[in-house]
Amino acid sequence: MTGVIKNDCILFEDVSKFYGEILGVNRVNLSIPPGVTSLVGPNGSGKTTLMNLMTGLVRPTRGRIHVLGLNPSEPEKLFKVLGYSTQFDSFPKGLTGFQFVCSYLRLGGTDSQTAEQLAWRAIERVNLIEAANRNVAGYSKGMRQRIRLAQALCNNPRVLVLDEPLNGLDPLARAEMIALFRTVAAEGCYVIISSHILHEVDAISDQVVMLSNGYVVAEGPIHGLRSEIHEQPAQILIRCDRPRELASEVLKSELTMEVRIHADGRGLLIKTLDADRFYLTLNRIALNGVEIESVAPADDDANSVYEYLIGTEEVVR
Amino acid sequence: MTKLWWAQIKSVIRLEMKKTLFARRGLWIYVLALMPVLLFTAHTVFTSRDRERSRQIASRSEKPLTYQDLLAIKPGMTSEEVIAQLGKPPMRFHWDERRPIEGGSLKVIPHESYHYSDGVNDLYIDIAEGKANSIHIREGYNLAQDSVVFAGVFQFFYLRLAIFFGCLGIFMNLFRGEVLDKSLHFYFLAPIRRDVLMVGKFLAGLLATCIIFVTSELLQMIAFNWQFSPNVRDLYLYQNHGLAQSAAYLGITALACLGYGAFFLAAGILFRNPILPAAAILGWEAINPFLPALLKKISVIYYLKSLCPVDIPSPPGTPPLFALLVSNPDPVSTPVAILGIVIVAAMVLYVSSLQVQQMEINYTTE
Repeated sequence: MTGVIKNDCILFEDVSKFYGEILGVNRVNLSIPPGVTSLVGPNGSGKTTLMNLMTGLVRPTRGRIHVLGLNPSEPEKLFKVLGYSTQFDSFPKGLTGFQFVCSYLRLGGTDSQTAEQLAWRAIERVNLIEAANRNVAGYSKGMRQRIRLAQALCNNPRVLVLDEPLNGLDPLARAEMIALFRTVAAEGCYVIISSHILHEVDAISDQVVMLSNGYVVAEGPIHGLRSEIHEQPAQILIRCDRPRELASEVLKSELTMEVRIHADGRGLLIKTLDADRFYLTLNRIALNGVEIESVAPADDDANSVYEYLIGTEEVVR
Repeated sequence: MTKLWWAQIKSVIRLEMKKTLFARRGLWIYVLALMPVLLFTAHTVFTSRDRERSRQIASRSEKPLTYQDLLAIKPGMTSEEVIAQLGKPPMRFHWDERRPIEGGSLKVIPHESYHYSDGVNDLYIDIAEGKANSIHIREGYNLAQDSVVFAGVFQFFYLRLAIFFGCLGIFMNLFRGEVLDKSLHFYFLAPIRRDVLMVGKFLAGLLATCIIFVTSELLQMIAFNWQFSPNVRDLYLYQNHGLAQSAAYLGITALACLGYGAFFLAAGILFRNPILPAAAILGWEAINPFLPALLKKISVIYYLKSLCPVDIPSPPGTPPLFALLVSNPDPVSTPVAILGIVIVAAMVLYVSSLQVQQMEINYTTE
């Protein structure tokens, strides 16, 4: 990988960051493709450090980072294609929401008229038009979160880095923002999100990067990640009309490790070490007359993958 | 590219000026800058009051007096000779001195105080036992002396304290203040080169300090000149280099902001605790007269002292240490001094620009 810089992804090559003797991240090798990528991990796992490294706010102790072929130490080029909504909750004093976004654009050299247009458009995208002319100091936490998002979006960046972007937002605003991230990703952008909230990660992400104690413990699409975890049996939820009959059938297979009747009495929860072969077996059982309504993996969400790989520390499910 | 950088610098200046000039925590800088204005205004008010009193005394004289008439009075002259020369005193006081003599008794000596004025200068004569015992002339206009006082206030208070600490407060906060406020990332996340950002912030600081301190210097000069009559003022400004001196003071103030600004901007970028570098720079500037020739040149005060238009003479009996601070035994020419400050500031800013490129946002460790 060394020597050739790929211009179509975000690349971490053997990146380590130490704050004095404290480890930020260690030996990170990542290649982040377009779409929504979630960084998942408990507090102190290195999510924000990874984002700050990507945006040049901190410099790697070792290794190299390239964002679409650009070096994060060149902000004048990087922030033409990247927008970063940080977790830092401080703003330059005395600015209104509109001035905050507009000043950011003006700093980049955008002329006043274009800057105003872009600023209003970004503020509109985060639904903050009514409060745009109020001082940011008087904003609620959710409004501050949204104006930071507007700032990150205002340049129409190809890479959007969002550190805990849903913090402080009410459920409606969360849904709107998730839809916005999906729209931006559908336009071919790279959306990198850190989150504690695993069920939202499922809803948002095309792929996840799981971090623990400064190390990347897994990366890739969530379903792909689950299939790589061989030591944990796969859980499959089968919805059917006669669960007891089906249970006696599946227990005959040597692939079945455990069978439980679902709490509502209308399905089975099965554990197996080889999900692919189990599905073939299930096809045969279905042909013998048991009516199966649906079959779905019960543990290939971010929550389960996280639990298998990292454990249960400090994550909201 | 230069056009883009200039547009970006202007944006930074716009943002910073508002913050710097109207920050509540920067109020003390205005107080510091305006203290000499208050001093010279008060001086002018008191001087005008004294002058009015002198005019009143002169109007009550038997005959119009000149400064030469006042100078003609010498100790030892009898009261009759004084009155013959100047007329009856418009103001006269009596008092008795009780002087102990041998045998423990007291001798009463009658004293008279005569107070004359030519309308500007006042003459005080103490007559004891019929003879002029002591004579004191209080000159109304003493431009030379007042200029030295102005120069003293400028060099010892304005340059070394007001501008020094004012620049500390403004320039040190350009980066360090934002780190403490946790808002520096706003700039670091914008598509602007960090060295361009630094130049923008420096120019904003320079503009703000120049507005505050050059305006204050201008007000000081107005207050200082106000005490003189229009004739004396014109004479001072147009024939006694007053205008050139005023321009020099304004220029030195701006150069001081440039020089100290560069040092304090660098200190704000390089150090977490601003007190230590500020103390170090203050110390370095103070020991400048004792430094070897080469090291002297890496300071701001060395060049500023060379530019000061009025020398402050050390009065007899001044401690050698203080005299050394006052004097400038090895001054440089005006162009060299100006160039010196500009070069020192440029060098310091260059080092700062290298450092700002390496700066990281890590508020938790601040």
